[in-house]
Amino acid sequence: MLDKIVNGLESFLFRQRAFVIFAFVLVTLFLGFQASNLKMDAAFVKNIPLNHSYMQTYLKHQKQFGGANSIMVAVEDTSGNIFNANFFDTLKQVHDQLFFIPGVDRAQVKSLYSPSTRFTEVVEDGFAGGPVIPANFSTTPEGLETVRSNIEKAGIVGRLIAEDYSAAMVTAQLMDFDPQTGEPLDTLAFAAQLEQELRGQYEDEQIKVHIIGFAKMAGDVAEGAKGVVMFFLIAILVTAVMVYLFSKSIKLTLFPLACSLVAVVWQLGLLTVVGFGLDPMSILIPFLVFAIGVSHSVQMINAVRRRVGEGETTKAAAALAFRSLLVPGGIALLSDTVGFMTLLAIDIGIIRELAISASLGVAVIILTNLILLPLLISYTNVKALPANANNNIDKIWLKLSYFATPKYAAVVLVATIALYSVGLQQANKMKIGDLQGGAPALHFDSRYNQDTFYITENFSITTDVMTIIVEAFPEACTYHDVLTQIGEFEWQVANTHGVESTASLASIAKRVNAGFNEGNPKWQVLPRTTASLVQAVGQIPTTSGLLNGDCSVMPVYLFLTDHKAETIELVIDEVKTLSAQMNNDKLTFKLASGPVGVMAATNEAVAEAQLPMMLYVYGAVFVLCLISFRSLRATVAVILPLYVVSTLAQALMTQLDIGLAVSTLPVIALGVGIGVDYGIYILSTMAVKLRDGMPVQQAYHQALVERGSAVIFTGLTLAIGVSTWFFSALKFQMDMGILLTFMFLVNMLGAIIILPAIGAVFWRNPR
Amino acid sequence: MSFSMLRLVCLSFLLVFNVSSVNAGSDNVSSLQPLANQSLVLDMVKAGQTSIAVGERGHLFVYQDGWQQQASPTSAHLTKATLFNESLGWAVGHDATILHTKDAGLTWQLQMSSPEIEKPFMDLLLFNEKQGIAIGAYGLFYRTEDGGVTWESEFHSELLFEEDKAYLEELRAEDEALYLSESSTLLPHFNRVVQLDDKRLLMVGELGLAAVSQDFGRTWQRLEFPYEGSLFNILVSHHGIYVMGLRGHLFKSVGGFDDWQEVEMPVQSTLNGGIVLNKDVLRLVGNAGVVVDIKQDDSVKMVTQRQGENLVTILVTSDGKQWVAGTKGFIELEQE
Repeated sequence: MLDKIVNGLESFLFRQRAFVIFAFVLVTLFLGFQASNLKMDAAFVKNIPLNHSYMQTYLKHQKQFGGANSIMVAVEDTSGNIFNANFFDTLKQVHDQLFFIPGVDRAQVKSLYSPSTRFTEVVEDGFAGGPVIPANFSTTPEGLETVRSNIEKAGIVGRLIAEDYSAAMVTAQLMDFDPQTGEPLDTLAFAAQLEQELRGQYEDEQIKVHIIGFAKMAGDVAEGAKGVVMFFLIAILVTAVMVYLFSKSIKLTLFPLACSLVAVVWQLGLLTVVGFGLDPMSILIPFLVFAIGVSHSVQMINAVRRRVGEGETTKAAAALAFRSLLVPGGIALLSDTVGFMTLLAIDIGIIRELAISASLGVAVIILTNLILLPLLISYTNVKALPANANNNIDKIWLKLSYFATPKYAAVVLVATIALYSVGLQQANKMKIGDLQGGAPALHFDSRYNQDTFYITENFSITTDVMTIIVEAFPEACTYHDVLTQIGEFEWQVANTHGVESTASLASIAKRVNAGFNEGNPKWQVLPRTTASLVQAVGQIPTTSGLLNGDCSVMPVYLFLTDHKAETIELVIDEVKTLSAQMNNDKLTFKLASGPVGVMAATNEAVAEAQLPMMLYVYGAVFVLCLISFRSLRATVAVILPLYVVSTLAQALMTQLDIGLAVSTLPVIALGVGIGVDYGIYILSTMAVKLRDGMPVQQAYHQALVERGSAVIFTGLTLAIGVSTWFFSALKFQMDMGILLTFMFLVNMLGAIIILPAIGAVFWRNPR
Repeated sequence: MSFSMLRLVCLSFLLVFNVSSVNAGSDNVSSLQPLANQSLVLDMVKAGQTSIAVGERGHLFVYQDGWQQQASPTSAHLTKATLFNESLGWAVGHDATILHTKDAGLTWQLQMSSPEIEKPFMDLLLFNEKQGIAIGAYGLFYRTEDGGVTWESEFHSELLFEEDKAYLEELRAEDEALYLSESSTLLPHFNRVVQLDDKRLLMVGELGLAAVSQDFGRTWQRLEFPYEGSLFNILVSHHGIYVMGLRGHLFKSVGGFDDWQEVEMPVQSTLNGGIVLNKDVLRLVGNAGVVVDIKQDDSVKMVTQRQGENLVTILVTSDGKQWVAGTKGFIELEQE
């Protein structure tokens, strides 16, 4: 039945080969055009588990308390003292420049120079105050001295001025739309403007400009992702050299590369067709598609050449190769696809997108490299390799085949078990979430993260903020018991390990009340008298982010020491305990918003997804192997090495301080899905021989002769394709690169070392 | 709204004229927390070997090789502590709270708590083991004759301003309820009271209030005072009585109470507390982290100015360590 279909396909395709190739050209042109419209797309919401309960809270209140899209520019005087004319002139220019960049909410630009930066002091008959930088300010020593004393009265040290007076801050909020064009704000263009018009213009020996904020980070990530083009070229070059060494023929080097590139073009074009953009994370897929395509092409070349060596014409050899590879190659690619599809079970947009685009890409390879390639080859004249060329390699295969003898198998198995138990120990210590400070997408020593560290060190500002949303009823903040409850919650959480400081309407209202009582700390309370409470709360604007318009929603901000997974977990646990105690029909304390709230949800989603994902991947691989081998022994022999290797990969993550995150979660699924191919190739040949009664070592030797070089070559090609990521400017791409390289190489080793050893045990007595 | 509010105020006012005695079974307690020592501390006092301190959220501390937080029967903001001797002590604060200890601060009982008055106590003074007074905001004034088992309110109309007195007299005739509510807010805040060597009491407060009493606080005579801002504390030293207040105002009386001289301060920060450091020197603390030394000759030396915090109180504990405390909790001062 299957043979009939393959035969029919073969005769149809090879008879109409010119027409078929022409059709491929047309489709490639169309999808190439589509691919040229592909846009970089780094939407924030794709990276978060939208259906997680924290994210529901986050999305519900994002409009009111979003405020996440802010930008901070710290202007540093390298002399360590800002009180000089040059600094104040520069600071004013930076303030004005930022003010005029389109997309900045001009009413929200804050620095020493903004009119809203005022100082207030308590005097006998009430309050007195004025702008910190007076209208008649000049950069004379007297003028600077006035400003210095105003700064102290204004209580802005740590916010607008560095704690050691070595830098000043300019902050701004970004709008969602460009007011001039009405278009959504182009974050990447905005980031470029910050770089040129602020840093480029004002940074010199005396002045340093540090910029942080979501827009800047997105810009830096996109900038870093551009390096990928370079990596892709390198991967192509290295692969080309490898293919040439394997094929010893320029033609047979160019065809596989061309077909694999066609697959990449189709995959990218299909992304546009299904409405996706290219994400810094899914940029991985073209690399994989290319490498998988090349490795299947090599099998094809190998097969054609063997037939030619047996005396067939190139065209006949190509047709025979097509026929012999369509089914096993198709199954291998299908199993890759199924492996990727299991990622759809994870409720994070970007991982689903990755699953779909990877599945598309691999499915495309069936067409380009199993059909187009043999058609192209059939037009050429392939020469058989000289017979002696295989002698050296054959010696290697002979040596490798000893792994299938009981003596060596025992050694290998003992070593494997030892490695596995050590690996398992390490794997259990694998951390969840981001393990380093700063923006996790970027390297620790990137400019952006260095700027982040500078600002968090010198200002009392942290980006590790978790927000607990208190939902109440309209005008809730005028009730003493409501604010008391919030204050009590805040105090209890503040005493949790990992929480550095907190802010809420309750604690700020207390301070305002002390202010109304001559600045006397003995009055730093929530007044019982409603009129006084309203007076205190009334001083706090909604722009503070501490309350909404009718104060039915009041967030509690938790500033954490870091965003390590265990810190987040500790705080989340405490908040859950407290909210269980404190929630009532009037007030609910809801997790969670803010950057760390999002991380908490992501960590939880990732941790929850890990086990099901592994079960699905292994389940899929198990079923596929069972179908193709119809043997439980064979299936176990293929899957055991895979399992050992994925455990070792997790151990490697612990060793290299790579946390389980959105970017690293799919790696194991990808590694297993692709890694299973090696075992399938080796064992499918072996199985036939074993069934014929051949002893294990001999069967394995035969399998190596037939498939060994292709398997090793595939492992190397895949590893090379992703190893270039090691040099990426983006931390998560580097992590993915390291892990995938490891998975591809070690799975290959597992298939040629552990698999035969298991085989030696399973098929001790030939049938 | 305003009508019902008014009724509430009247009602509560009527209530407080009754004797207030509260059992300690309130569930409004404050728990022991690691950050308590770094949160707002409002008073530290010492008697012999005993040192205790109080602060926000009902925090209570005893000094035993460092400040140890103790279980507290209240979560009210405690403003002042008093030790009658090494074991008997009191603490007062918002929600008209009075706490009592018999064991040097290790355990505390609630003697009074009347949140409905909406007024804080600011100070408490015991004349002997049984008799004493507690004072606070808006003329809050309670007296005990039984060591704090019962507290009774007093209204010191003699400390009203002349025009307010006339206004109140008028009201009393017309509208008893309104009279009660108005009189509950017309008196200035009473911030601090001390007993001098000659048994007279000196009390200071809001709007330049300084008053003396010859009869343990039953009647008061208002003093002429050269300043109209708030006065927060009194410090009695070998060479005079010092009164400190808003924006760095410090006054000294060497002879009688009708001669107050201002001591010039280098900063305009409110002064909250102080101690007699030695025969010659007073050390005062205040807002904006000010720690300042005043010598007998009125010369002033800034000791330190701690950034970003207000200091409220200063104490030398029995082990000789010098402590200041305020918005950031206890801080040991390095001694030169």
